[in-house]
Amino acid sequence: MRYAILLMGAPYSDQASHSALRFARALVARGHRLEAVFFYHDGVYNAARLAAPPQDEPHLVDAWAALANEHRVALQVCIAAALRRGLLDEREAVRHGKDGVSVEAPFELTGLGQLVDIGTRCDRLVTFGP
Amino acid sequence: MQEHHDDSDLLVILRHAPHGSSWLREGLDAALVAAAFGRRVSLLFMGEGVTALLRGQQLGPLGQKGTAATLEMLEMYDIETLLVEEQGLSRLGLSSDELMLEVECLSPSALARVLSGHRLVLTF
Amino acid sequence: MLLHVVNRSPATSRVYQQALAGMSPEDRLLLIEDGVQGALPQLVRYYAGLEGRLFALKEDLESRGLLGRCDASVQVVDVDGFVDLTEEAERTVSWY
Repeated sequence: MRYAILLMGAPYSDQASHSALRFARALVARGHRLEAVFFYHDGVYNAARLAAPPQDEPHLVDAWAALANEHRVALQVCIAAALRRGLLDEREAVRHGKDGVSVEAPFELTGLGQLVDIGTRCDRLVTFGP
Repeated sequence: MQEHHDDSDLLVILRHAPHGSSWLREGLDAALVAAAFGRRVSLLFMGEGVTALLRGQQLGPLGQKGTAATLEMLEMYDIETLLVEEQGLSRLGLSSDELMLEVECLSPSALARVLSGHRLVLTF
Repeated sequence: MLLHVVNRSPATSRVYQQALAGMSPEDRLLLIEDGVQGALPQLVRYYAGLEGRLFALKEDLESRGLLGRCDASVQVVDVDGFVDLTEEAERTVSWY
């Protein structure tokens, strides 16, 4: 089946990110197609390029990127929610005159229309909230 | 249950009050975008979410925008199915004629039918 | 048939009431994260009437030291079982 995940919890604050990642791995291990993970609300912090958790803790940002690269999962970050929270890719950093970049590929800033699109196109959408 | 609930594309459930968190605004944003993309959207105000519909809301601290202005635009986006959990209102001592928009009140037994009548359900 | 997912404990949050309000007689309920506390014999009464349709996530019970403490009426599933439940249900609705 074609799946999508909506993640709305911040990493390391709530279990939602761990739960979503665990579920995502189980999905692909069972041969399902995970088309996209959409990050909304505080879930957008999962895309924070500068996250530096202690070495004995799972690195959630890297884990999402690995999942995306191994299984062609789109990592879509709501642009409106991200910009408000200081999460900018290179293009947005230039546009807003900022020095730093806090979001990089495979995460992509995108509009809420993508959520609507994957939500209706995929067979299943599973939400993980904080 | 009325005909127009059946097989609507998207049900957005709003369970939070304005100002206290961004949940209500972000839920409404998702609804507006879906409607702008031509989906048929229903809103269900549940629990504290019913307070989004109170009249006389103002800006919050530092001019924090609420959601009342967005709600006034719903009709423009063709979001006309506005559902309110009856229990959510009564728990706060409110009645539907005190609300800024015309809504349909849902009894507990009608709620479940609304959930199963939509192809996609998003809870905020 | 829908799958409802609750991640809050009924001891401290009213989210379980919202989930129950949204459930049809054939819908299923899965408890995850702090929600697995609802599988304890003392708290499972909040889910009276869901016999055979109430599930709790094994990994989240295990990590909290609660695995051996579940009420017999709760079906314990691992994350693969979670995937199964989402396959079998037309849609999943999360309450958090």
